[in-house]
Amino acid sequence: MPAWRSLNNFDWILFLAILATCSIGLAVIYSATTGTPSAGAFHRQMIWLGMGLILLFLALVIDYHTLAEFSYAFYGIGLLFLALTLVFGRVVNASKSWLGAGGVQFQPSEIAKAATILMLAAYMGRERVRGLGVVHFAAICLIIGLPVLLIMRQPDLGTAVTFAPLFAGVVFIGGIRVRTLLILGLIATLALPMAWGHLKPYQKERVKTFLEPTRDPKGSGYQLIQSLIAVGSGGLLGKGFLAGTQGQLQFLPEQHTDFVFAVLAEERGFIGAMLALGLYFVIIYRCIATARAARDRLGVFLAIGVVCVFAGQALLNIGVVVGLLPTTGVPLPLMSYGGSSLASTLLGMGLVLNVWMRRLVN
Amino acid sequence: MGFEQDYKGLQDYYEARRLNTRIHVIQVLFGAVLVLYLFAFWYLQIVKVDYYRRLSDNNRLRRVTIMPLRGVITDAEHRVLANNRVAFNVRLDREKVTDMKTFFPRLAGILEMPESTLRDRIARYRGRPVFEPVVLKEDVDLAEAAYIESRRLELRGLSVEVESRRNYLYGPLAAHALGYVGEVSEDQIKTDPSGEYELGEIVGKDGVERQYDEDLKGDKGWKQVVVNSLGREIQEIEAGRKPDPGRALRLSLDLDLQRALEAAYADEAGSAVFLDPASGAILAIISRPAYDPNVFAHRFSQDIWGGLVNDPRRPLQNRVSMSKFAPGSVFKIVMSIAALEDGIATPARGDHCTGTWRFGEKVYQCWAVRKGGHGYLTMREAIIQSCNIYFYHLGNDMGIDRISKWAHRFGFGEPTGVDLPHEESGTVPDPDWKRRTVLRDPIWHPGETISVSIGQGALEVTPIQMAMFAAAIGNGGTLYRPHLLLSREVREGIEEDERQDHVIRRVELRPRTLEVIRDAMWGVVNEDGTGGRAKIAGRDICAKTGTAQVFRASRDIDADKLPKDKRDHAWFVGFAPKDNPRIAWAVFVQNGGHGGTTAAPIARAVLERFFQKLDSRQGVQQLASVAVPQ
Repeated sequence: MPAWRSLNNFDWILFLAILATCSIGLAVIYSATTGTPSAGAFHRQMIWLGMGLILLFLALVIDYHTLAEFSYAFYGIGLLFLALTLVFGRVVNASKSWLGAGGVQFQPSEIAKAATILMLAAYMGRERVRGLGVVHFAAICLIIGLPVLLIMRQPDLGTAVTFAPLFAGVVFIGGIRVRTLLILGLIATLALPMAWGHLKPYQKERVKTFLEPTRDPKGSGYQLIQSLIAVGSGGLLGKGFLAGTQGQLQFLPEQHTDFVFAVLAEERGFIGAMLALGLYFVIIYRCIATARAARDRLGVFLAIGVVCVFAGQALLNIGVVVGLLPTTGVPLPLMSYGGSSLASTLLGMGLVLNVWMRRLVN
Repeated sequence: MGFEQDYKGLQDYYEARRLNTRIHVIQVLFGAVLVLYLFAFWYLQIVKVDYYRRLSDNNRLRRVTIMPLRGVITDAEHRVLANNRVAFNVRLDREKVTDMKTFFPRLAGILEMPESTLRDRIARYRGRPVFEPVVLKEDVDLAEAAYIESRRLELRGLSVEVESRRNYLYGPLAAHALGYVGEVSEDQIKTDPSGEYELGEIVGKDGVERQYDEDLKGDKGWKQVVVNSLGREIQEIEAGRKPDPGRALRLSLDLDLQRALEAAYADEAGSAVFLDPASGAILAIISRPAYDPNVFAHRFSQDIWGGLVNDPRRPLQNRVSMSKFAPGSVFKIVMSIAALEDGIATPARGDHCTGTWRFGEKVYQCWAVRKGGHGYLTMREAIIQSCNIYFYHLGNDMGIDRISKWAHRFGFGEPTGVDLPHEESGTVPDPDWKRRTVLRDPIWHPGETISVSIGQGALEVTPIQMAMFAAAIGNGGTLYRPHLLLSREVREGIEEDERQDHVIRRVELRPRTLEVIRDAMWGVVNEDGTGGRAKIAGRDICAKTGTAQVFRASRDIDADKLPKDKRDHAWFVGFAPKDNPRIAWAVFVQNGGHGGTTAAPIARAVLERFFQKLDSRQGVQQLASVAVPQ
């Protein structure tokens, strides 16, 4: 194995930025859950972080070309897990998205996400064509569509939405023609009112609330308003560790999962928020640098797939926290509490580090 | 660049360049969004920081009013009649309930209440701000309170609140005098000029509780607290001001006499008041039917309240001061005094009663008509026998203006000023009164004077006026304003006597007049008169019975044969002992038949207890006076 030799080419900046972001996440989870019923979250997240780092190293030591050869298998296993979830899954918050194995509960949708990225990259890596043909486009739709459909059956709209940036990213990088893009845009515009009719009432409520937050301040606008108060009241330096009143007194909902960034902004202020935002900037830019430096199309699409999912989720989540996007229930990768999401993100980052490490043909 | 090696030839070179450009576009896009977010944070955290700090403080800081403890009410001997106790209420914070549909059945199970009741209680708060908690169940016991506290996490929004509740130790005892408390009405809050009332505040609604609410209620305090999203107090950050408890009130009531009165009154309807003729201090007071004022301390007493309001027996009415009745034969005392003082008659005036007297077109009867009348009587005998014919003639000789003048002098026709709310004035009719009020027949007929002469007609008095009148006869003519308040606490443990002069006026009466009247009233009880049933050997009880007609034909029919609500009202009014009286009273029994039959025994029971206590107190004093010289 040439892995140890390649360690000289290891992307330390990306790795350290990931570790730093996870550490900040752990600290915020600790602060957000102390004295609440979720007080065990900090320790559980530590264990998940350890497991996630093992996955990261597994994903980087095996040559990504080898991994790509088994992409069908991984993709198949991912779909199988999703199917099993629909049958045996545990219902949490009215959606069947958890699968238990022994004492461990995990979300198969996160595994499927990583498998789908690999599958897409493997497919796109093989095709060396100019532009994106109809066949390619259909293949991409199929590869992404299968897990998304299964996830929407759960139903877990939040996770399904995170596949959208992956789709957009791959299609764009694949070189979709402007004409095709326009036709697709037209179809989407026509389909939107129909899709609106298929949304659940609470989902419609979220969109309406986003457009007009004061419409229902005690109902679905509550989260949004409380999040803005948390962020805004943090000021330049923040209220201090364990001293954020919005988080500590539980005015902020989901303070250790979807609104973890609001807790950070409240307790650490503008400075803390900028530090975390800076770390996400570094991670995203290192991933994109990896895509550019990759030695083949497989590497490009692997890095692009990971960064699109990662950046998509991060920007979606933070956008909700500052009130620029409607509430979606998307966790903040690397910081929000949640083992499956953390492990899956670290696995993806392992793939990116893998691509960087093997960027040079020796 | 790495991946370019995959591409062979010029075409591949361009494709690689395009790929590179696309990656660059994504990079710029992500970068732009991050910069946008940077500005979003800058706007929220730097530009609008003060605004959001204020909102954050509003979220967590709450100014909490601390209600003071209501003043305790005691009797004259410092025995507690009304105090406060701890009560647990189950409250719901509506903000915390997300799904009312699934919440109600669980709630109903835990509180062991029907769902419909819970819905009704929550519905009543529909117009109130959503952060205001709804009281779902009141006054639960400690075990239930602990059980609900233990299930807080499961039922977000449910909490147990500790409240001080008014407690009347003897339930319906002296209910109308003590009154009751209740939540201040929304109208009261709106109209109160001080603006001090808060929603849910407890105020006195009737009786002493209402009359002396200012003293009893105390001063509210406040504190600033940090609350969490459940509204639970996390921390007190500013002590603010401690509440000042209400002042304790000491009433002139004597619990022993009051209990004797309550027991003697049994199931009758009516009222009675006993007072000190030397001061007007009320010693015992009753109005029946009564109610238990403890039920009003509950918020959810609507049914009970409705029942009391709509009860045809009108239990909420204080029949001592809010009801007026014809005085009946008791008014013959006023007639006699007026005649003697104005020189219309002497005590020796004699008259012959044959049972009937024709005046104008009408025949007036004496109650002794069936035995052929009383025969020859002097004034003293006429009072003792309560002869109507004697007073018909006397009234006819005197004229309505004199009768009216003397009735007014003794306080009839005007409120006594007793310290109870909504006092009635009663009516003393005369030609001027009739011209003003009876518009369909404004002319005074001579026959009306005859009716008034025996305490009937339009004449109406309240029992409290009667008691004040009896006290004035006993004390030689002074009208003391009847009152319940003896002293109030100014500071912890320090009382301030009511140094108020309770004298309304002194009616100048000749000693001879007083002697004749007192002697006649003594005779009513002690000489085979109408009030013989109140006689207690050696106590020289002086009184006058009265019977107020309810049903016209009652004079010819045996009282016992009439249905209860058609029977006459019974009066027994007097003072004791004859010399230097210590107690005066008016006992009124609604539909009680003859005054001597039903009202006199009630007075007797209370008087026995009164003299028993007086004797033991004097015994102690005598012992003390013997002990001092040694």
